[in-house]
Amino acid sequence: MLHHLLYIDPGSGSFLVQAITAAVLGIAFFFRNIRLYIKSIFTRTPKKPNDNPPA
Amino acid sequence: MTDSFIHHPSSYRDPSGFIFSKNGVLYRQVNKVFSQDFDFFVASGCYEKLVKKGLLIRHEVINENLTGDKDWHTTLQPAPIPFISYPYEWSFDMLKDAALLTLDLLKEAMASGMILKDATPYNIQWHDGKLLFIDSLSFEQYDETKPWIAYRQFCECFLAPLLLSHHSKIPLQELLLAYSEGIPLAVTQALLPWKTKFSFHTYLHIHLHAKYSLKKPSATGEKTIFSKRKLLNLITSLEVLIKKIRLPDSKSTWSDYYDEAAQRKDYLVHKEKIIHEWLGKIKPESVADFGANTGEFSKLAAAQNIQVIATDFDAFCINTLYKAIKKNSEKNILPLVLDLSKPSPAIGVNNEERDSFLHRTSVDLALALALVHHLAIGKNIPFGKIAAFFGQVCNYLVIEFVPKTDEKIQFMLRNKEDIYSQYTEENFLAQFQTHFNIQEKIMIAGSERTLYLMKKNER
Repeated sequence: MLHHLLYIDPGSGSFLVQAITAAVLGIAFFFRNIRLYIKSIFTRTPKKPNDNPPA
Repeated sequence: MTDSFIHHPSSYRDPSGFIFSKNGVLYRQVNKVFSQDFDFFVASGCYEKLVKKGLLIRHEVINENLTGDKDWHTTLQPAPIPFISYPYEWSFDMLKDAALLTLDLLKEAMASGMILKDATPYNIQWHDGKLLFIDSLSFEQYDETKPWIAYRQFCECFLAPLLLSHHSKIPLQELLLAYSEGIPLAVTQALLPWKTKFSFHTYLHIHLHAKYSLKKPSATGEKTIFSKRKLLNLITSLEVLIKKIRLPDSKSTWSDYYDEAAQRKDYLVHKEKIIHEWLGKIKPESVADFGANTGEFSKLAAAQNIQVIATDFDAFCINTLYKAIKKNSEKNILPLVLDLSKPSPAIGVNNEERDSFLHRTSVDLALALALVHHLAIGKNIPFGKIAAFFGQVCNYLVIEFVPKTDEKIQFMLRNKEDIYSQYTEENFLAQFQTHFNIQEKIMIAGSERTLYLMKKNER
């Protein structure tokens, strides 16, 4: 168990709001990742010839 | 050698340790109560990693109890920072980069099993052309089940001023002088436009946060269960928001000064030549360029490996200069927003926590180019007071005298009564000679302006 020196006041509601915010963000980022994945399938750029390692 | 040490007046909040000076050298004491966290910080390799990445100040361990304190654990000697500046003197993008640096450090610390226990811009300084975290005692062991203790502090100190500037399109660094511990969430919420409630990340970090920060803690003391993944999501959200906010490159009163001055090419070329020669003659190690605009003369001095503090009251100009410094990896210029009619005062507990600008500044050479008329006519400051200012901050002074017949002054007097009978070159010289003696005087080509090189009188 870690005992921390709480020398700044985190704000009484700040811990609670972090829990709520993080939960909302968890859902938002989950859907964002799906959206980005689908987008990447359609916008995948073909490899440029000079990207290939020299023979 | 004396045994006495001076406890730094700003280092009193955190019981983990404190800053002190002894025989003119700055040290940081780590107290016993923080020994476990500090030793873990070093042993986990977190300290070395952050220093190697250029994010944290390097220190030397001095294994000696220099204060004679019974709470002593160890003493550190951090690398010296030549000039301490404060967030209310920083431009918008500098504060923005300081916010992103804080989040970077938080992520790096988490990867090493540690977390930042505070998030204030006062823990960040400008050193060698970049922002650097200077508080080695801000890292404690990470308990993944707990939320970030410094979340509210981060939102109030960084996010609030940045968002207010972004939405108002006005540089608001001065607000941090009034709210030096961060702009309270309730104030930020009240000042932000109503539409920001529909901005996802702003709603979460400011509006929702403000609503909950007013809540009283529950009597049962129920615990909030958190996780590392959740904190990483919170950081990503803060990063997404901060990277999006920006201050537009507005055309301020003086931001096109050089473009306009470039039309008087002979004038600029000759002025640069004179400054160049005088820099070579004086060989200053430090220069303060007052009224630097977008820093053309600061760059001239910096190119000669001189440490330059470039100040201007126009926050747009200083922001432009900051971005140029960053783009060109310029190492020797510290750009600061400073109004010479009210240089930063001493603030904080007993008015000694954050030092005044005058008390912090002592340079070999000050540049006051095309400046004196703005102070004397624009702000009604008598020559005597302007001379007293420079007499306190520098040994050498390069100052440009602009006569009343100059078109810039005529422009300034267009809608203002000419009450400036004292504005003469004779009076200017008489007042400055109470602090300086005149070394050289050169008329600048293509103008009626004169450059003076002055040296402070021996006392």
